[in-house]
Amino acid sequence: MSSSNHKDHATLAAAFNKDEPRVDWHDQTLWWVRQKRDKAAAQVADWEALRDSASKIKDNVLSNLSEYLTKFEEEASRNGVIVHWAADAKEHNDIVLSILRNHKVDKMVKSKSMLTEECHLNEFLAAHNVEVVDTDLGERVVQLAEEPPSHIVLPCIHWKKEEIGELFHKHLGTPAGNADPQFLTYAARLHLREKFLTRRVALTGVNFAVAETGEFVVCTNEGNADMGAHLADVHIACMGIEKLIPKRDHLGVFLRLLTRSATGQPITTYSSHFRKPRPGQEMHIVLVDNGRSTHLGRKDFRNSLKCIRCAACFNTCPVYRRSGGHSYHTAVAGPIGSILSPNLDMKKYSDLPFASTLCGSCSNVCPVKIDIHEQLYKWRQVIVQEGNSPAAKTATMKAMTWVLSNPGVYHTAGKTGRWFMLNVPFTVNNRLNPWYHQRDLPAPPKQSFGEWYKKNKQ
Amino acid sequence: MSSRDKILAAVKANQPDARALPPQHQGPDTSGDLTPRFITVLEAIGGAAFLVSGFDRIATILHEQYPGARRIVTNCPELSTFAETASPETKNHYDDDPHTLENTDLAILPAHFGVAENGACFITESQMIERVLPFITQNLVLVIHRKDIVATMHQAYDRIALIPTYGFSTFIAGPSKTADIEQSLVLGAHGPRSLTVFLLDEQLSDAGFY
Repeated sequence: MSSSNHKDHATLAAAFNKDEPRVDWHDQTLWWVRQKRDKAAAQVADWEALRDSASKIKDNVLSNLSEYLTKFEEEASRNGVIVHWAADAKEHNDIVLSILRNHKVDKMVKSKSMLTEECHLNEFLAAHNVEVVDTDLGERVVQLAEEPPSHIVLPCIHWKKEEIGELFHKHLGTPAGNADPQFLTYAARLHLREKFLTRRVALTGVNFAVAETGEFVVCTNEGNADMGAHLADVHIACMGIEKLIPKRDHLGVFLRLLTRSATGQPITTYSSHFRKPRPGQEMHIVLVDNGRSTHLGRKDFRNSLKCIRCAACFNTCPVYRRSGGHSYHTAVAGPIGSILSPNLDMKKYSDLPFASTLCGSCSNVCPVKIDIHEQLYKWRQVIVQEGNSPAAKTATMKAMTWVLSNPGVYHTAGKTGRWFMLNVPFTVNNRLNPWYHQRDLPAPPKQSFGEWYKKNKQ
Repeated sequence: MSSRDKILAAVKANQPDARALPPQHQGPDTSGDLTPRFITVLEAIGGAAFLVSGFDRIATILHEQYPGARRIVTNCPELSTFAETASPETKNHYDDDPHTLENTDLAILPAHFGVAENGACFITESQMIERVLPFITQNLVLVIHRKDIVATMHQAYDRIALIPTYGFSTFIAGPSKTADIEQSLVLGAHGPRSLTVFLLDEQLSDAGFY
């Protein structure tokens, strides 16, 4: 397909689709999460007004981002927090490493941060002999399995409990064959508690950062961000520059939307507001651009920077549910990842905007009203115009254009097609035609509507 | 040019024309007693709630609920006979090393208020003894006054604006939990395995209880 050397979405999805019962299981599990979201949203009388407010607050954020960043830096510094700026992934990773080196630390705990996945921080630190332990249970599972997360909220949603039992047996010494989620979670609790108690540096992500007060909010259900940060001598919080919100009371809007959209819970167990380091502690914030300022300049696509990473669009997407997160070959998968990633590397991610049926369900569930499916469609046009579309697709589209713009050719082609399918179907319906891999065609009619109309018009 | 200046210049050049903030979102109109709603939601997310007349009742209930608790830490002076407190007299200061709280079985802390729509309680650093305590303890108990329940997160932030500033604060909604293994809900991920909220109401009669 595309000229680059990685496997594209269609190829990776085809591999995922080989195990049909597993695909059904994956599909149903995520659909169940989507239904929980629906129930939670339905219980909030002002849900649509809330989405509208959130979207408008984010419009204001994007239009004043440079001012809010400056204000946030000023307030956070006043609170005693050390603020760093990273233009790209490399600079972000270098900053984290330098903080670790300053403290002569080579081990740290980390709670969920998709930004550090985007920057490939773990690999970078491993190459510099720093051991990182991911402390979110799902992230620990995929880390032990040496895989990236397949979902931004449910990192190991593609893993079965029996497989996790086996993985924990190998790495944590749990009894072979025990796949009880309660038991495995308890084993992970003991394993990770030891890490929390012995690590001097903790890294967390950031859900929201408040320009007005310089504080930032981290949401978890497990309490892992807090366990890490409050026990460590040094807390490093990494955030994309788009995470800013103007005022603290705007958190009311976003915290009401975030978890209901994500898992159907009314709120995460913990919504922690970090404003100042505790006495004797050092607190750092790393503000990361990594393509975001460029993205902000793309009129048709900047809205995707409103994303609050709830993953509602993943759970509802018929393509994501049936192709799995790894088929997107990027840190943030799903519909939102498919419109964010081409901004980072249009060639490498040229396949992603095509990994959609454009059904629009993603836009309907988005808590900040990002026009996701419209952006998917717009990216396709940009990608084709810039010459990044797959060669086979380009050739087919050119042929179709010729057929559809010439009535004579169109009628002959239709007639020929019907003749072939009626008389020698095996020439069309065979393994060489990719269209037939997962589909069957209905029986072709003997004549077209045009032919019927001509005969019957008296 | 520093990365800071580069980023800010690029953002400034690319940010769209000014868009005004929307008017402050007003939640749904909620009047009446919010207690039943708060309790229902809290129980649905794995927490427990008790309406009590005072701290004596709290002590009685905790004795029954946590008979095996060895180390009990509290920031409620009313419970000082029942649990260790952080006060100048007892010299229990944990500032030097929060790790020493690791073996806490039960922590009883006051919180500012509860939120009916999601069962969360808001607690600030000064109420926690140590920031890590509400997370590291095996079981957590929060105490609020029954009248201190607000309807939604919007009213919650209106209330927070009246509270003296904090270095750290958090909303706590139920016990620590995870559903990362096949979406099976497990209570007690890294933090407390149970969460109980006591709602104080001095008007309440203890008659009929025990």
